[in-house]
Amino acid sequence: MAGMIGSPVKRKEDPRLITGNGYFTDDIKLPGMLYGTFLRSPHAHAVIKRIDASKARAFPGVAAVFTAAELADKMKAVPAMWFLPGCELKPKDRPALAADKVRYVGETIAFVVAKDRYVAKDALDLIEVDYEVLSAAVQQEQAMQEGAPQLFDDVPGNLALLWKAGEIPDEVFEQAEVVIKERFYNQRVVPNPMETRAAVAQYNPGGGEMTIWCTSQNPHIHRMIYADVLGIPESKLRIIAPDVGGGFGSKIATYSEEAVVACAARELKCPVKWVEERKEHFQATTHGRDEVIEVELAGKTDGTLTALRVKNTANLGAYLSTFGAGCPTIDFGLMVTGAYKIPQAAVVTYGVYTNTTPTDAYRGAGKPEATYQIERAIDLFADKIGMDPVEVRRINFVPKEAFPYGNAMGVTYDSGDYHLTLDKALEMLDYQALREEQEELRAQGRLVGIGFSTYVELCGFGPSAVAGAIGFQGGVWENSTVRVHPSGKVTVFTGTSPHGQGTATSFSQVVAEKLGIPIEDIELVHSDTQSVSMGWGTYGSRATAVGGAAVSIAADRVVEKAKKIAAHELETTVEEIDFTAGIFRVKGDPDRQRTFQEIAKSANFAWNLPPGVEPSLEGQSFFDPANFVYPFGTHICVVEVDAQTGEVFLMRYIAVDDVGRVINPLLAEGQVHGGIAQGVGQALWEGAVYDENGQLLSGTFMDYTMPKARFFPMIESAFTETLSPVNPLGAKGVGETGTTAAPPAVVNAVMDALKPFGVKNLDMPLTPQKVWRAIQNGREKQ
Amino acid sequence: MQIEYAHVFDIPLEAVWKLIQDEEVLKKSIPGCKSFVRTQEDVYHVEMGLSVGPIKGLFTGQVQMDSQEEPSYYRLLMKGKGMPGEIDATAHMHLKEEERGVVVSCRTEVVVTGVMASVGQRVMGGVAKLVLGQFFKSAEAEMKQIADES
Repeated sequence: MAGMIGSPVKRKEDPRLITGNGYFTDDIKLPGMLYGTFLRSPHAHAVIKRIDASKARAFPGVAAVFTAAELADKMKAVPAMWFLPGCELKPKDRPALAADKVRYVGETIAFVVAKDRYVAKDALDLIEVDYEVLSAAVQQEQAMQEGAPQLFDDVPGNLALLWKAGEIPDEVFEQAEVVIKERFYNQRVVPNPMETRAAVAQYNPGGGEMTIWCTSQNPHIHRMIYADVLGIPESKLRIIAPDVGGGFGSKIATYSEEAVVACAARELKCPVKWVEERKEHFQATTHGRDEVIEVELAGKTDGTLTALRVKNTANLGAYLSTFGAGCPTIDFGLMVTGAYKIPQAAVVTYGVYTNTTPTDAYRGAGKPEATYQIERAIDLFADKIGMDPVEVRRINFVPKEAFPYGNAMGVTYDSGDYHLTLDKALEMLDYQALREEQEELRAQGRLVGIGFSTYVELCGFGPSAVAGAIGFQGGVWENSTVRVHPSGKVTVFTGTSPHGQGTATSFSQVVAEKLGIPIEDIELVHSDTQSVSMGWGTYGSRATAVGGAAVSIAADRVVEKAKKIAAHELETTVEEIDFTAGIFRVKGDPDRQRTFQEIAKSANFAWNLPPGVEPSLEGQSFFDPANFVYPFGTHICVVEVDAQTGEVFLMRYIAVDDVGRVINPLLAEGQVHGGIAQGVGQALWEGAVYDENGQLLSGTFMDYTMPKARFFPMIESAFTETLSPVNPLGAKGVGETGTTAAPPAVVNAVMDALKPFGVKNLDMPLTPQKVWRAIQNGREKQ
Repeated sequence: MQIEYAHVFDIPLEAVWKLIQDEEVLKKSIPGCKSFVRTQEDVYHVEMGLSVGPIKGLFTGQVQMDSQEEPSYYRLLMKGKGMPGEIDATAHMHLKEEERGVVVSCRTEVVVTGVMASVGQRVMGGVAKLVLGQFFKSAEAEMKQIADES
């Protein structure tokens, strides 16, 4: 169907989901299934002196209790899969179950399997564990200091990695006209998808086949890692991610729990299910961010930026998680210069083990932190030279003519037009009028602020050769098979594994447009390693740019073959065939035609195929892009701060995003809304807080503030389309734009509102208490 | 975290000093006390049930009294373990005679784990005050009864 790409088609997924016919991991019920639950460490750092599970084992209804001793020769520890070279990386795997030491609150110690969840939970109480409690290393800078508690004997100073990229001599900053130095803490956040993690495992003791249903963003990566961990050939291990209720990065990681569930199913010869409770999710599923970022930004009084030096001290948690080494280094470091032509840049990252939950990718993974530091530093710079922050951005933007543009950190931005989104956003805002209004309101004692964020991010992972060069233990290509059935209905197999994105809708639109058939004739198959040959997952805003591109190419190949068959039947050459809107016509003789459905039947029946053409109608593609894609945009936030209470109210939020070709504006806008909600969440409310003993104080929804719809004004969203040259769709990525752009837009707005009090910087989250104190301090100084 | 609490006794100082460390008084006054057994001089094994909001379950542990400076100060060392988590507390107990009566104030340093840690100070502080309030109230009633009997 022509015009499908770019059309706001309603999600194909929704009728199932909103009528309660979804099928999530917890919906799976198998005959004879047992239920498991984990005993978790109450201490952040302790030696396990004794575990006695005998009472739990004797409890009626308990099938087994596994501790490290029982699993010792049954499974391996779960390794990370990003081994960044050149940084003296000391990877520490997640143990199956803690054996002699626990390193964070929530680490698994034992797994109880019983006839139901209630019995399993009751039996947990009967396991006796004696600990020798050790002091904990919690904050990353303190953990690096001499005399700090050590997590591992062979990791001195708890330093897991030290990554350096670029170097700038001190003179550059000493001699610069203007220098901004600031320390930003990008606080730790908890992903909190609606569905927590879960796993069901079924083992066939006869043939040795194992099936694991689990909440995964990348089932093929789970298969690759768990095959090794469990000692099961990849060809006998099947991973299925059924409906998955969100992930935000937390379901990329391969954890030990899912593997322990599988191990238990194999030992007990019964299916076993485990569903993570929300409290467990807070403690045991990867957290995001937690980076202390120190910035030096040099420039001239005319507004030109000349050099940027950044130090990132990142808290990696107690073990190295799957992508843990990549987020604060590659993902962060290569993007520190943002949308600006800063000629010199250098980054050093310290990755530190601490007695906290391991950290890993969280919606944006490194890019929000990179964007935050540069967007905040630019505002401080503008303030220092007395220039409008919009003007400083304009002066330093990479110009449209400069693309493809190699930034100071060595990556090449594919395409961009940064003035385009800024101009559009300013027009939507009516900037000059609002500045005048702000002055009037200030005179009345009302604190209104305007904040900008003109971001660019690195998405669409990526060429596989680059993955190899940066130590990522896998490829980052995607594949698709478009299979046409005799009736002309189509099944599309994709390696992309969605978990709420609406991929079945957007990919169907691509195929509908290419094949000229109704979207209802297309079904997607994904997220099952037995149905789909390979896939590298949904993260890094790569679904459409890489997976969607593979679908598009596979559909083109279907058309290519169908044209040959049509030409044969219509007794002409392929060159003479014109294919539009699902009909093959002979050029200049449009009455001679075949429908797509007629050719589908001919191809599958194979009664009369042209010489050299094999039966069936199927196209396949394995697409490895030539580069990353670099979406960009301008977000503007307008806030009012209540001077009496310190509470921040969002008055307006404008988002002009350029994500390349928009396949479905409805889905794209939904991604923008959700991303902004999470980004504003980090700016104003969210934050995982540990006490000095490593106890997670914000471990429930009572103590951890999630954004709610009523906190937001109507988001004013618009798109411009600067196509990417690296994939046939021209698409970039939209999933992470909001979490990347929003935090600095909001904080810049609040700092602008607090300008009368001389407040320069506050760390997120900008809670009423923090803002109120800043106002009081400012008043005292006046 | 720190928890502070004070209670005013309408009983002479010497009696408070003696009875507040008395095994029988303690056994009867500790809220939810299921067992209170002396294991050494000034060391007791305790089992107590608690049920306040999310903090629910049976705690087992040990209580030790030391550093007595009659009649004005002693120290309580408490270690307990239960499903909601573990407690490690040191309480400084000060007794002082004032016009309104004998003021027993305790300043406690508490380290907790598990649910007790993750629900935050907001709930913990309230629970502790509730439990301490119950304890001092019943201890006073108990002491008065003993004083009346003797």
